[in-house]
Amino acid sequence: MKILEPMAKLCAILAGLLLIFITLMTVISVVGRDTIGKTIVGDFELSGAAAGAAIALCMPWCQCKRGNIMVDFFTTHMAQSKQNLLDRFGALVLACIMALMTWRTSLGGLNAWSTQSGTMMLGFPEWVVYTAMVPPLALTVLIALHQAVFGFAGDSPESNPELAV
Amino acid sequence: MSAIQLTLLIFGTMLLLMAVRVPIAACMFVAGGVGYALQAGWSPLANFLNNQAYARFASYDLSVIPLFILMGHFATQGGISKALFAFAAGVMGRFKGGLAMGAVLACAAFGAICGSSVATAATITNVAYDEMRKHGYSGRLTTGTLAAGGTLGILIPPSVPLVIYAILTEQNIAKLFAAAMVPGIIAMLGYMLAIAIYVRMVPGHAPEKDEVAHNSMGSALLGIGPIAAIFVIVFGGIYGGFFTPTEGAAVGAFATFIAALLKREMTWDKFKNCFYATAESSAMIFLIFLGADLMNAALALTQVPAQLAALVGTWGLSPYTVVACIMLLYVVLGAVMDELSMILLTVPIFFPMIMALDFGMSKEYTAIWFGIMVLMTVGFGMLAPPVGLNVYVVNGMTKGKGDAVPIAESYRGVMPFLISDTVRTLLLLFFPMISLYVLRFMQ
Repeated sequence: MKILEPMAKLCAILAGLLLIFITLMTVISVVGRDTIGKTIVGDFELSGAAAGAAIALCMPWCQCKRGNIMVDFFTTHMAQSKQNLLDRFGALVLACIMALMTWRTSLGGLNAWSTQSGTMMLGFPEWVVYTAMVPPLALTVLIALHQAVFGFAGDSPESNPELAV
Repeated sequence: MSAIQLTLLIFGTMLLLMAVRVPIAACMFVAGGVGYALQAGWSPLANFLNNQAYARFASYDLSVIPLFILMGHFATQGGISKALFAFAAGVMGRFKGGLAMGAVLACAAFGAICGSSVATAATITNVAYDEMRKHGYSGRLTTGTLAAGGTLGILIPPSVPLVIYAILTEQNIAKLFAAAMVPGIIAMLGYMLAIAIYVRMVPGHAPEKDEVAHNSMGSALLGIGPIAAIFVIVFGGIYGGFFTPTEGAAVGAFATFIAALLKREMTWDKFKNCFYATAESSAMIFLIFLGADLMNAALALTQVPAQLAALVGTWGLSPYTVVACIMLLYVVLGAVMDELSMILLTVPIFFPMIMALDFGMSKEYTAIWFGIMVLMTVGFGMLAPPVGLNVYVVNGMTKGKGDAVPIAESYRGVMPFLISDTVRTLLLLFFPMISLYVLRFMQ
């Protein structure tokens, strides 16, 4: 976790910066359109592409913080140690799903590369987004696996409640 | 396997996994994936997954979700809540229970720039809790008020659950936000009324008189100014036709960030915290999207949702009875399940059913009105025991503050507000025009 957690944090910051990029581009585009009648061509395509990378980059940190919501209604009276065991199983299931998604997204990316498919207006290559998505998804697999195997002992404390949805 | 057996298998798998604490997104993903593969085969499933993450994540329409979340966190970390609460307390201070009403007013104002219920509850709790306890408000009323006030974060636009509903049902976000305005204001007034009645009926929870400084012009401007400015820019821009709601989310995030900078509260650490929090919430929501996609694809293949819609149509029930039943089901589901997952899972099933019924209004109005009804149940679910997320968060924040409030006291505290919620929901159920009337002014 000593290496994985800083990497997840880095991913989250990169995701935030991509969102800032979308924000600035949109503001410039909107201001341009409503004042001088000029807009950034294909801004929404770039926003979509940036969002794709950003969302994937959000995943590792969410897994680190065990931010994926689960139902604890049926297990509230269970001993903490048993709950932890179930949570490790949950992390394992999530690791498998993420591994599957990493694998299939890589294939999707290879396919986009071989067909050289791009977005409608700018022709922005789709494989770039796929390529940006694969590493953070793979990192999420590692984090979830680590949690499943070693438990949550060394984790950083619970999220600041102020920061939840 | 028959369609019914398959459907039962899919739901059974999902519920079983949920019961053993597997993340909800993963439960849907596994159940949906198995259901899909059993009907269409494993290799079509694999092919479906090749582009699924790309299709969901790299979507311009969905980018509105992380942007509204980021905007909310800028507002939370930006230090605009303290002056806001002081202003709201000054406005309401003359009434009995005024500080509690002030907290509700502050939540409503904060909700106008924040689309999340928990973030609103936590932000206002941060600035209002100590003040209320110091003035002699009971732990029960204080935590109840703040938890309930938090739901105004989603009831008053912008609202993340409403955005998700709009995307799922392909409705216009701007119109849904407009339709949520009046119900949101009714919610705020309803909560204030609940406080006024409660402090008179059950003595000992609020002081006879609050000693709050009245607002000077300057403090009022400082308190409400930044939020009013952001609100006018975002919603003025959307309804004035200057930009789309998706662009509005980006403009809002930008404006809120500027407001936080002007407050000189935004440090690099806080800035990073905004990113971390946005990452956590966004990943959580989008992972549920992935799971719900598979689940809905599998269910669509069984054709059970379509048959169900047709079947309900033949029963000859009054359309309002059908909606009331769905609402009740939501209240039950919301007791055990997270509300966002609930929407993502059930709206694709219920929406066609609702659209097949005749409510005596246009299809679009029906869709928008049902969205508002769904939103009301989400707010209810955030408060209702046994798992009201807002109540947990606000209650958790009282720990380590001298006298922690027992969770049972907090649940007692939200009861008056749940009654208010129920009255409002019934009102909107039987008088759809309350929320839809505003749409007449939009074209």
